[in-house]
Amino acid sequence: MSDAWRLPPLAAVLVAVVLIVCAEAGGASMVRFRVELTRWARGVMLAHPEVHGLVGVRDVDERILDEALVKFDAGLRLFHLHAEGMGLVILATTAVAATLARGRRVRGVMIVLLTAGGAGYPLGYLLWSWLIPYHGIERGKSIAEWFVWMPFGGATIVALWWLAGLVVLRLARR
Amino acid sequence: MTLRALPLLALVVAPVPALAHHVGAYTPQDNELTTNFKQVKFSVQAGKFEVARRLFEAGALRAQMRAKAATLPPGLESGTRAALQAGDAPEVERRLMIFFAALARDLALEAGRQLVDARLAPEARATAGPRFLEAIWRYYNLIDFAVAMRDDKTSVAMRLAFDEAEGYAKAAAPAGAGLSDALRRIAQILTHLIDTSSTFARRNP
Repeated sequence: MSDAWRLPPLAAVLVAVVLIVCAEAGGASMVRFRVELTRWARGVMLAHPEVHGLVGVRDVDERILDEALVKFDAGLRLFHLHAEGMGLVILATTAVAATLARGRRVRGVMIVLLTAGGAGYPLGYLLWSWLIPYHGIERGKSIAEWFVWMPFGGATIVALWWLAGLVVLRLARR
Repeated sequence: MTLRALPLLALVVAPVPALAHHVGAYTPQDNELTTNFKQVKFSVQAGKFEVARRLFEAGALRAQMRAKAATLPPGLESGTRAALQAGDAPEVERRLMIFFAALARDLALEAGRQLVDARLAPEARATAGPRFLEAIWRYYNLIDFAVAMRDDKTSVAMRLAFDEAEGYAKAAAPAGAGLSDALRRIAQILTHLIDTSSTFARRNP
């Protein structure tokens, strides 16, 4: 087998590039629409006082709203950071998988796990941000955990351990 | 068999670290009142009374003193401004102490009302207790040193009552009678503090 690097499938490259584009667009939108986003989130929270435990006293409620808005903003920032990072992780890891995994099926499964996991995981932060005004910080986090972070993050971790094992195997066979 | 089970085990165990995602930490911010209080306090401590007066006149403290004038000792706002003009640091501190004690007392009274409000859901009452306590402490904590310097018994009593209220708030059924009683005690202590401090002011204008 040659030592040359192989390109990952174009679909995986496209997903990675689109993810990085989404990260950049998301970052820019966060800055451009910061006031509108905050106003929207605050409005939804005020429309769901029971969800956030608002008591109708400004001195108490401002602190609750402030925490939720800080987390809402943090979710958007973390989406921006993770989408940028995971885009690059997809490019790098799928290239390694395309180069080192011999079996077609093994290579395919590995690349699908790395691509889907890497692309899906950052979306959990976006989902969490969107859920905070409607369901609160903790409930929103639980939903994002079970529906996005666990399955997609798990897929990435499984595929990365698999890839690591493959590299070790290659080293041992040399 | 063991080797075959390994990938399965990996599939089960591997996603667990995905739970440890980073979601950031929240540090409570000062609100406009506590910010303005600190601005005025530090200006006074630095002997910059003119700066403190300007910060007070344009800030949230004065606006809130005016808005809550009906529940505050008479002349609190004008007296604070006069003390700032006169460069009287202890008097400024005493008047701000009364103001924040009144804010904390009003919160304790409102918390007591909400905890027994049958129109509110039990969950809402359960979450309201700790949140009111947090807000009460945020205000009281600003003045505890000033209170202890003038009346250490009141300071200790307030701390004990607050600890007791926190204990009830953390219990399984936080909206119970124990929390209501502790909040009533907090309100009584703060009312006593406001009354004695205001009486002292009237005797020593």
